[in-house]
Amino acid sequence: MVLAAIGIGIILAFLALYPTAMLFYGSVSDAPLGVPGHLTLAYYRAAYGDPNTYRMIGNSFVFAAGAAAISLVVAGLLAWITVRTDAPGRALFELVAVVPNVLPPLLTATAWVLLLSPRIGLINVVAQRVGLPPFNVYSMPGMIFVEGLILAPLAYLIVSAALRSMDPSLEEAARVAGSHPLQAARRVTTPMIRPALLAAGLLNFVRALESFDTPSIIAIPARIEVFTTKVAREALTAYPPNHNLAATYAMSLLGIAMVLVYVYRRLTARTERFVTISGRGYRPHAIELGPWQYVASAGAILLLALIVLLPFCVLLLTSLLPFYSVPTWETVRQLTLKHYAFLLTSDRVARALRISTMLAVAGATLGMLLASAVAYLTVRTRVAGRGVLELLTFIPWAFPGTALAIGLLWGYVRLPVPIYATVWILLIAYVTRFLPYGLRAMTSTMVQVHTDLEEASRVCGAGLLHTFRRVLFPLLRPGFMAGWAILATIFMREFSTSLFLYTPRSEPVGPLLYHLWIDGLHGRMAALGVVVSLVSVVLVAGARRASRTQIAD
Amino acid sequence: MRDSISRALLAGIAGVMLLALAAPAAQGQADLVGVAKREGRVVVYGSMESDVFAVIQKIFEGQYGIPVDYFRASSNGVMDRVLTESRAGKPLYDAVLTNRSPMMILKTQGVFGRYVSPSYGSYPSATRDPDDVLSPSYRQVVVSILYNTRLVKAEDAPKSLADLLDPKWKGKIVMPDPNVHTTTAVWLANLESVMGAQYRPFVERLAGQVTLAESFLPVVQKVIVGEFPLGITYVKYVYIFGNEGAPLDYVRLNPVLAEAHHVAISAKAPHPNAARLFVDVFTSRLGLLALAKAGEFVLVPGVYPSIKDAEKLRIVLMDDLSEQELKQFRDQVGSLFLKR
Repeated sequence: MVLAAIGIGIILAFLALYPTAMLFYGSVSDAPLGVPGHLTLAYYRAAYGDPNTYRMIGNSFVFAAGAAAISLVVAGLLAWITVRTDAPGRALFELVAVVPNVLPPLLTATAWVLLLSPRIGLINVVAQRVGLPPFNVYSMPGMIFVEGLILAPLAYLIVSAALRSMDPSLEEAARVAGSHPLQAARRVTTPMIRPALLAAGLLNFVRALESFDTPSIIAIPARIEVFTTKVAREALTAYPPNHNLAATYAMSLLGIAMVLVYVYRRLTARTERFVTISGRGYRPHAIELGPWQYVASAGAILLLALIVLLPFCVLLLTSLLPFYSVPTWETVRQLTLKHYAFLLTSDRVARALRISTMLAVAGATLGMLLASAVAYLTVRTRVAGRGVLELLTFIPWAFPGTALAIGLLWGYVRLPVPIYATVWILLIAYVTRFLPYGLRAMTSTMVQVHTDLEEASRVCGAGLLHTFRRVLFPLLRPGFMAGWAILATIFMREFSTSLFLYTPRSEPVGPLLYHLWIDGLHGRMAALGVVVSLVSVVLVAGARRASRTQIAD
Repeated sequence: MRDSISRALLAGIAGVMLLALAAPAAQGQADLVGVAKREGRVVVYGSMESDVFAVIQKIFEGQYGIPVDYFRASSNGVMDRVLTESRAGKPLYDAVLTNRSPMMILKTQGVFGRYVSPSYGSYPSATRDPDDVLSPSYRQVVVSILYNTRLVKAEDAPKSLADLLDPKWKGKIVMPDPNVHTTTAVWLANLESVMGAQYRPFVERLAGQVTLAESFLPVVQKVIVGEFPLGITYVKYVYIFGNEGAPLDYVRLNPVLAEAHHVAISAKAPHPNAARLFVDVFTSRLGLLALAKAGEFVLVPGVYPSIKDAEKLRIVLMDDLSEQELKQFRDQVGSLFLKR
């Protein structure tokens, strides 16, 4: 056990600390990486001597907290309806809910601008017809709303996994004791899945803090300064780009994230409280809503309209038009399949799809195996330093994708192993950056499974591996596959880290979508977005099939 | 870094000189082709749109059968990648092509080697790099006001930059944020020499009239979909997107500012001969004619992109900004655009 912990510790430490050390060194060196320099604190003085920095931090916190809260509300409601109730159509809803996870945030944010721009936004056009005032997306509420919806699917995957592994007998007890289903959901279900809710909120808060996609589309026009727009302005688009200053800002984000992880660990320290799967027999059982089931379905459809259907329709329409414009009857005559024809004939597209599918399947599998091992060690064992393991996985995730890419680039370009400029560096980057998503899904499921089942297996003479394979893994499968689905869908279209690390011969889907976007080929980009969504739905459906828990009566 | 190149170039474009842009010289060409083919491929990093680059790529690959790997990024992204790889001692690129300002910085950083292509001889001598590192400007990207023809009639469109200050356009103009988009900063800074004393009041009021976006491309997209009737962006989009049916036209500013683009070869190119051959083709008359056909403004007399009135434009090349000048610009002018 100790040996296993040491082995995994070394792997994690290398993945996490190597690029972090590079970034830290960059933040205190007066020369660009690769050029010998002297130690300096000048970048920290430049970053924090500016009074605007503090206003910007305030904006960023409002933005991130608002977006994380919206994502939790949307995801929590949707997860409860799809997993715990008998609302009709819930299996389909569940599949649809992960689609936005596969859309690059840049696309979703662009779609929302087309829906909510003051003059031409479709929703605003309709609102004005019926006499409602238009909603201006170029504002702090607009930015929070869009980012919250972009983050909702991630929260959904984590929360729904926890709900699926929850012992419903407590809910039933509440019902028997006379509680209304909603009351039971609020008083019993919510506290039980609190680790998952906190985890999802925490992940999304930091994700919003370091996101550049929505801010670049909305904050720049709204003239709101947030963390990432400041980094872009002062460091990444400086002439020449100042990686040292970018690294300095990245170190501050790391500090903030570490504080949050500490708070999270304090809040979930007494994990026994959340154990819901134990040696007692249980069978997941849906709550019968009676006539309310249709209300629940309608609610789910409304939520899905916000996080998937509306932006996806804009994407679909964009992919079928020479140029997007507010739809009129004229639009119908312009419909074309030429962007899809381009996809079929382009070698570049075929290669990108091949590379990204490989990265998604291999990366998600590797990532989840590593996450399972870490989750087991941190939740199940008393190995010294297990808290450090968890912390290690969180470090890279605290950095914006671009900053982490800089650290990885600096790190791996120096290794004697020829890994720079191959797909392998992308695989390493993806696993390094997104491991916490996998770990969250695994940990929040694992804390719910009581140790008595494993102990029973061990007492009956089964070894560690046998127990893991025959007892623990089947119980954890929903968490494992949920994590796998999250990772696979993100890897399928990841771009902010890839952009720094790929080469023309190893171009994955994310950078290709981005290049179509910066070349103004929005129709082709949308068509590719639609195709990638379909590929990802296939991956998620596969994961769902594999996650069905088979428990003998 | 104020230099006299742009003024001289302007005189050049005015059309007095007769250029005989010949095909790549044949002397030593056979040897070069042989070695280049043995190198197997050529890797190019650039900010030219992939579709436009593909035109040249097709010519080059068709002629020599040497495959081209093209890494496309924003001009900033190209500069960033080139610098990082060079400092790390793993330069994977053979040739780099982007705007003048980043090319000048890369040149100063010493990442390029010297190369004089036989085709450079056909360019006006004033456009030649005295250090023989950068190519002459193979294209110029022209910046003006574009408008959506469904929303604005030609007669109602602004006629000059000053017209943008008309209260009726308030909130209806989109332009890149000069604090994140460098070419826009260079453009605004160069307006000073065009506008003289009117400059400061103009930028102060312009900052209050416009909505900002990240770069030229989102600007033109917002104009095409009708989110904003006017946008400050590249004139070539009128051709590129207009060809596909986008409702775009542009304001014939006089003069109209443009930024030069250059190409150069890495000092440590993994495929140096293939890179030379590529630059020969790229800067040849054949290459320039192909670029013009794809909507680019090039330095061949009498050759214009098929954009209405392109031949009548008085194009003035912008001076590049040094690192220091850009910082100063952002403090003094850029900050106006951050106020809400």
